[in-house]
Amino acid sequence: MTATQPGLADEPRLRDLLTVFGQDGAGDEPVITVSVPVADLSAAVRRIAAHPGARLADVFAATQETDGPVTLRLIWGLDADRRYLVTESLIEGESYPSLSDIVPGAFTEECEIYEQFGIRPANGRPLNRVALPPWAGPDWPRLGRAPTELPKDVHAPHHVGGHAFEFPFGPVRQVAVESLYYGLVTSGEELVDLYLFTWHKHRGVEWRLRGMTPGDALFYVERTEGLGAVGNTWAFAAAAEAALGLEPPAQAMAARAIALELERLYNHAAATVALCQSTGLVIGQAAAEIALERLLRVNAAVFGHRYLFGVVDLGGTRADLDAAALRSDLLGAYGELERAAEALLSTNSFLDRLEATGILAEETARRLGLVGPVARAAGLAADTRADHPAWPYDEFPLAVAVADAGDVLARFRVMLTEAAESVRLIGEIGRTGAGPGLAPPPGAGPGQAASSGLGWAESSRGESLAWVALDDTGRITRARLRPAAVRNWRGFDDACRSQNVFTDIPIIEASFWLTVAGTAR
Amino acid sequence: MPLWTLRGLRRGIVTTRYPARPDASAALLPTPPAFRPDVLTAGLADRLVAVCPSRALARDGDLLVFDVGACTACGRCQAEAPQAAGDSGEFELAAIAREHLIKRIPLGGGLG
Amino acid sequence: MTGQSGTGLNVQETSEELRRTVTRLFGRSLHIRTLDTGSCASCEQEIRLLAAPHYDLHRLGFFFTPAPRHADLLMVTGPMARVFETAARKTYDAMPDPKIVVATGACALGGVYQPDPFTRGGVGSSFPVDVWIPGCPPSPLALLQGLLVAVGRLAEKVKDLDFALNGAPR
Repeated sequence: MTATQPGLADEPRLRDLLTVFGQDGAGDEPVITVSVPVADLSAAVRRIAAHPGARLADVFAATQETDGPVTLRLIWGLDADRRYLVTESLIEGESYPSLSDIVPGAFTEECEIYEQFGIRPANGRPLNRVALPPWAGPDWPRLGRAPTELPKDVHAPHHVGGHAFEFPFGPVRQVAVESLYYGLVTSGEELVDLYLFTWHKHRGVEWRLRGMTPGDALFYVERTEGLGAVGNTWAFAAAAEAALGLEPPAQAMAARAIALELERLYNHAAATVALCQSTGLVIGQAAAEIALERLLRVNAAVFGHRYLFGVVDLGGTRADLDAAALRSDLLGAYGELERAAEALLSTNSFLDRLEATGILAEETARRLGLVGPVARAAGLAADTRADHPAWPYDEFPLAVAVADAGDVLARFRVMLTEAAESVRLIGEIGRTGAGPGLAPPPGAGPGQAASSGLGWAESSRGESLAWVALDDTGRITRARLRPAAVRNWRGFDDACRSQNVFTDIPIIEASFWLTVAGTAR
Repeated sequence: MPLWTLRGLRRGIVTTRYPARPDASAALLPTPPAFRPDVLTAGLADRLVAVCPSRALARDGDLLVFDVGACTACGRCQAEAPQAAGDSGEFELAAIAREHLIKRIPLGGGLG
Repeated sequence: MTGQSGTGLNVQETSEELRRTVTRLFGRSLHIRTLDTGSCASCEQEIRLLAAPHYDLHRLGFFFTPAPRHADLLMVTGPMARVFETAARKTYDAMPDPKIVVATGACALGGVYQPDPFTRGGVGSSFPVDVWIPGCPPSPLALLQGLLVAVGRLAEKVKDLDFALNGAPR
């Protein structure tokens, strides 16, 4: 994905930041990668975090051999500058300067890195188990070496006036929902604290992708989080394309964008279904389900699959796009959602359950680095389609949907606004002649250098990131998948805590509309 | 709630009549492939086996062994050799024994 | 629920009788419990749509229940992530007999994931599976057909399909 805005690196602010890393400008490159010696890491993190519009989007590690040094990478979204900044630091020993002391939202990643690579922040604070089960001993297959001391479960201390008890719920939960474990801390009805174990669905996807070609890996990336197939495969394909120097043809990018907006549409309809179900409004649920089913049939008619599997390919898209079906079916299907939403927004008993429920403050969303409608409904106006645009999003800019109440109702309204925008975008992009097309494959054989790349897409849940490193035969040595769910689950307990009761939890969960699969990969 | 009742009545019934009547929406669904024995050679079969990401295809001598249960209808085999693999159009695939989903298609095109 | 052979028993007849018993018990009122052993979440979305207006499984006498004691049929998705096996076993054991197990979707049937340290590569080695429903994900129509086959109201079709174009002999 190449930026089309020239000269942004002339921005004095960005230039100042880059000078710190010994660079005097970025040209038009949308991704800047800098090396940061570990001794300078704290200062660098502080400096970047202070840069206006900077957001720590991901932290992950990689290693060449199990017992060798570990490379720690931080991916920063410099959203105001339309750049991503990747810092790389080589960690020789067992510890590195704490990131969460400066950016609290990095705690989850510090825990995950400890489980997978055995390196930990130097502040000595206890780390939680995140991705692996309690019995994952030294022999458990990991991306790096096992930690010397296995992490325990440590949760934030909770203050309760009176007695509180903790009860487990899950992982097998209600009908036809994913397996997920909640630890609910309550003093009766009020929810004092909530913590999640998402490891029950851990499938070791990043472990499995090593040694595959990016084309083969796409099959698994698609099925990591099926409800985010387009967003996640786009991010991954873009990462591999950046590494290989491939540029998908314009009509294929347009086809990807149409598929991405269709994915956004059906997910927002599905969230509406879940909101109605969680509030007991059966008739609203039925109306939203009619909309959802019709949208899934549009997907099948246009791209050949109800969940848009098989659309994104390495170098573009192979899938045929039935433009006539899109023109004839989309508006009718969307109309069902529009009418259902209109009725819902006039149903006071429904709105009463949504208003002031599950409030997420803007400061919390910013501190935790949340993305997507969850963040936008809390007042953070970040959307990768506007902040890091590639064709066709740079030619057809969108109005980013924002609200400020941060409650379930605000998230619902943001999704509805986005759905309307998606329909508009599909119409405009469709007129550019979207269809299948593939960039010619890279020349294989010796002489191809090892390479890496970052890719992204604004999935229905928010920014989905992927980073991939390839060896000189074009096979994956490290694949990092970071669907939006990875960021946003850490905001769920904040939204649930205090002033909310048990029966609010499904409503809040519906308004987040994440998946467990997206984080337990 | 008159708002919802009127809406519902106006909307009408969308429920499928399946299984009593066939459902037209089935035509939109991706389906596992069906193979052309007279076109299949060992060489073609091996290419199909190599391209399947879900291990639904294997070659056993002069037979292409197709595991419908493992198939995700991704279409890669059809894209690889459209002369040898096309849509089966079948979506009613439930089996009461796992072996009922293993199909053996003869390589009528020879072992070339 | 396959017929068991024993001294003097005709397997075919026993199997037919079992099938009739299943239909008698579950044919008109069936309660379904779902179990996610590590799916990508799209199988769950299709299962949820079974209760939606376009499909309405209730008109066929099928109902979902979250209560294991109330359930007759276990619909299992996902490749059986190894970290989930204990929870899966407990869910199965909590359902009283007689019960039917339906493996749902390519992952549960052994596609997509191979057996490796993280997944068993299917649910067939964890449960006695009665019905297998292919698909990625299986559409609600395919799921309906699978449930109707499971209770004996529809005959299995796939056994007699040869997936050969131009009708070559098997």
